[in-house]
Amino acid sequence: MFTEILLALVVGGVVYFLVQRSKRHQLKSEDGWWGEGTPMAGEEDLSIRPYTVQTDDEELEDLYRRIDQTRPFPSLEDSQFNYGFNSHYLQKVVTYWRRDFDWRRQVEKLNKFPHYKTNIEGIDVHYVHVRPKNLPEGVTAVPLLMVHGWPGSFYEFYRMIPLLTQPSNPDDIVFEVVCPSIPGYGFSEAPHKKGFDSVCAARVFHKLMKRLGFQQFYAHGGDWGWIVTTNMAQLEPKIIKGLHLNFAPPSKPGLPVVLSIMLGRSFPKLFGFNEHDIQRIYPVVQNLVVESVKESGYLHIQATKPDTVGRALNDSPVGLAAYILEKFSTWTDHDFRNLDDGGLTRKFSLDDLLTNVMIYWTSGCIISSMRFYKENFSKGLDQPHSKMPVHVPTGFACFPNELMHTPKLWVQQKYRELKTFTPMARGGHFAAMEEPELMAQDIQNFTKMQEKMK
Amino acid sequence: VYLQILDPTQQQQLLVAGSAVAVGGLLTCYYWVYQGTKTKRIPIGDGWWGAGEKPQSEDEKVFPFQVQTSDEEIQDLYDRIDRTRYTEPLKDTGFQYGFNSTYLKKVVSHWRHQFNWKKQIAILNKYPQFKTNIEGLDVHFIHVRPPHREGQRVLPLMLVHGWPGSVYEFYRILPLLTDSLDSLAFEVICPSIPGYGFSEAPHKQGFDTLAAARVFHKLMERLGFSGYYLQGGDWGSIITTNMAQMKPECVKGLHLNMLTNKLRGFGVLFSILIGRYLPWLFGFTREDVRRLFGSVGFMERNFYEIIRETGYLHIQGTKPDSAGCGVNDSPVGLAAYILEKFSTWTDFNNRDLEDGGLERKFTLDDLLTNIMIYWTTGSIVSSMRFYKENLKTNIDNRLDNNTGVYVPTGLAAFPNEVRHVPQSWARDRFRNIYSYSYMPRGGHFAAFEEPQLLADDLLQFVKKVEKL
Repeated sequence: MFTEILLALVVGGVVYFLVQRSKRHQLKSEDGWWGEGTPMAGEEDLSIRPYTVQTDDEELEDLYRRIDQTRPFPSLEDSQFNYGFNSHYLQKVVTYWRRDFDWRRQVEKLNKFPHYKTNIEGIDVHYVHVRPKNLPEGVTAVPLLMVHGWPGSFYEFYRMIPLLTQPSNPDDIVFEVVCPSIPGYGFSEAPHKKGFDSVCAARVFHKLMKRLGFQQFYAHGGDWGWIVTTNMAQLEPKIIKGLHLNFAPPSKPGLPVVLSIMLGRSFPKLFGFNEHDIQRIYPVVQNLVVESVKESGYLHIQATKPDTVGRALNDSPVGLAAYILEKFSTWTDHDFRNLDDGGLTRKFSLDDLLTNVMIYWTSGCIISSMRFYKENFSKGLDQPHSKMPVHVPTGFACFPNELMHTPKLWVQQKYRELKTFTPMARGGHFAAMEEPELMAQDIQNFTKMQEKMK
Repeated sequence: VYLQILDPTQQQQLLVAGSAVAVGGLLTCYYWVYQGTKTKRIPIGDGWWGAGEKPQSEDEKVFPFQVQTSDEEIQDLYDRIDRTRYTEPLKDTGFQYGFNSTYLKKVVSHWRHQFNWKKQIAILNKYPQFKTNIEGLDVHFIHVRPPHREGQRVLPLMLVHGWPGSVYEFYRILPLLTDSLDSLAFEVICPSIPGYGFSEAPHKQGFDTLAAARVFHKLMERLGFSGYYLQGGDWGSIITTNMAQMKPECVKGLHLNMLTNKLRGFGVLFSILIGRYLPWLFGFTREDVRRLFGSVGFMERNFYEIIRETGYLHIQGTKPDSAGCGVNDSPVGLAAYILEKFSTWTDFNNRDLEDGGLERKFTLDDLLTNIMIYWTTGSIVSSMRFYKENLKTNIDNRLDNNTGVYVPTGLAAFPNEVRHVPQSWARDRFRNIYSYSYMPRGGHFAAFEEPQLLADDLLQFVKKVEKL
């Protein structure tokens, strides 16, 4: 009898120990090389080169010629944005693009923050690095890395950067901001080999921050930026002081999530659901299944045949604009699908939207940006990093019109040290671009809380 | 006496087991009875798809049509081709990421320097073509009458294409059906689905396969046919099936080279789980087992492969205008998008090849002619919308998917078709199967790829129905 108990205890202890260990397991990552051919022997090029966004007459002429040669196809009567970007409104956007949009002025605007490039793992990584000016005595800026998603770019953060590097409130933290472009997006070189997924991007960005001399920093992300920064926290939890996210769909719905879906409507308090949570989740099939299917066609085709779907978009600027801007409409508010103009200019200016599109157009990166989906999904949804929880202090900004609504309970399943969970007043998927003040405010609150705890 | 031997708990167990069997038996009976009373036809309905309001009277004229081009059109095409902005493919990925850019350059070079569109138009025009206005849309069709031969019986036949195909897919099979020395020949009508090729695209929402079926019935009626055969693959298969369900009295026989079935219900589920080991229990032949389970297992072959290959279906079924906008501006983009299907749906193994195996079964000229039909008509967007119109609501619940097909049916199962449906599954819906043939080779674009095999199978099926 005694030996049985002892044996049970020992076995239990071993199992517990193993389970605990695997829970605190750090994400591992091997090194990689993404340049053409094989890496050359000798020193790696560690230089940091300043970069300026440029354009020329030829580029603009080519763009205008292609716009003029668009072969438009009329939308079905009364279909608004339900079949994709509405042709009538597209015509208006394109006319603006052709006649009023000033790319040269936008390029100047892009260059008002310093850009750089540096070669990591064989590819040139582009980033914006903004150091705050006029720091008061004895104050050091807090380093913050912000990672964009698809179909966005570093430009999404432009309105937020001054709020972070030159806050008006003297009690606010002053940030030093680094906004890289994910390899394959914008001005970052695209990987030449297959296999470049979010963990690789995370590793590359760690190397970047190390190269810039940061021992510890905060990270913010939404969309792909969410996964990349999460992977960064999983790879090196001691280096990420805090993780701030606005998008975090559950990658592996465990028992608590499933139970909350089943019983949350009847027992909201039990799961910490508020009214907004109930509204966004129920009816379950409509909101979680049907809506997801309706809006994930792009994900499905990009995760399987990126070279096919992106092929035409690299030749047709209007096609590219329709494809990308449809997301800026629908992912800002699902109800915009029923508007003739997709509600695009309610939250964004055409100049800002087209600048983002121009980054994709002039760099010709649409195919490589889509390949990121295949690299991440082709191995299945059961990646080690999606099963691994995150033990870095995390702050979550919950925007009401985000693509996938995640109540606090769901976020907590993966982010075990959730310090702040803020229901935001308004905003959708492209929150940083749509509501920069609100987002900056939440980053401030989260970071202040973390810095005080030191 | 026996029951008294058992103690109370055992009695209870026997009661429970007995009830379970009884309930199971009742459910099975109900299921069989329910199956038997399935409706035998679907309503015909009506529609109007033209721009604006419907006029008082409909224009029923049939007028001849010829495919044409101009130097301007060809020059515009060349300009766009010359301005393509290529992206290098990833190393060693073949066609896994979609159409390989390196091979795409070769195809485009042929298109730019060797392909002769004017010559291809002459080929297209060798069969008489017409247009007529039905439900507000100009419907294009080819009408081929066989030359008069002593003792040869001629039967009317309609061939319906799919996506991303066109009437051109049938150009290799047409002579085999209309110009043969056999005792039986066909007078063939090949329409273009509204929104495809030279048929006008619907201006209103809701144009699905049922609408297309009705339009094609009206077409046959207008041409003076009261009884005819139907053949189709891809969308053509669904449209012709709908036609057979709408007016079974007009459809003498239905021949399909692509099947779909609902992967639901206990019968199907069990057959998936156990069918590999006890095929005879589910009516599976050895060939069925080979095609369903292959060397990789059912899930891999039928589930994961389908997920890998249905991205286009998903985006076209939800955001066709976004997917198609750019493709209508870029001929190279259009070619890549469409030809990827001609590669992969002919044989999944083609994905591992640098050239996608395209020229093994097709000539570049034929493939590009099909592309040119989409390009010159600018119909790619409307062709994609057809997916949304049909997939907007859950298609499994649609009336036609819950109604049987009672006309004589012939099924040709090609080995490399995207999904294999054994006869035992097909029987659930097709209640009057006259022939089910395992074809020795060929994939999704059967008429284009293996016209002789398809023509032979169609002929033997029709002869069975006609009792020849």
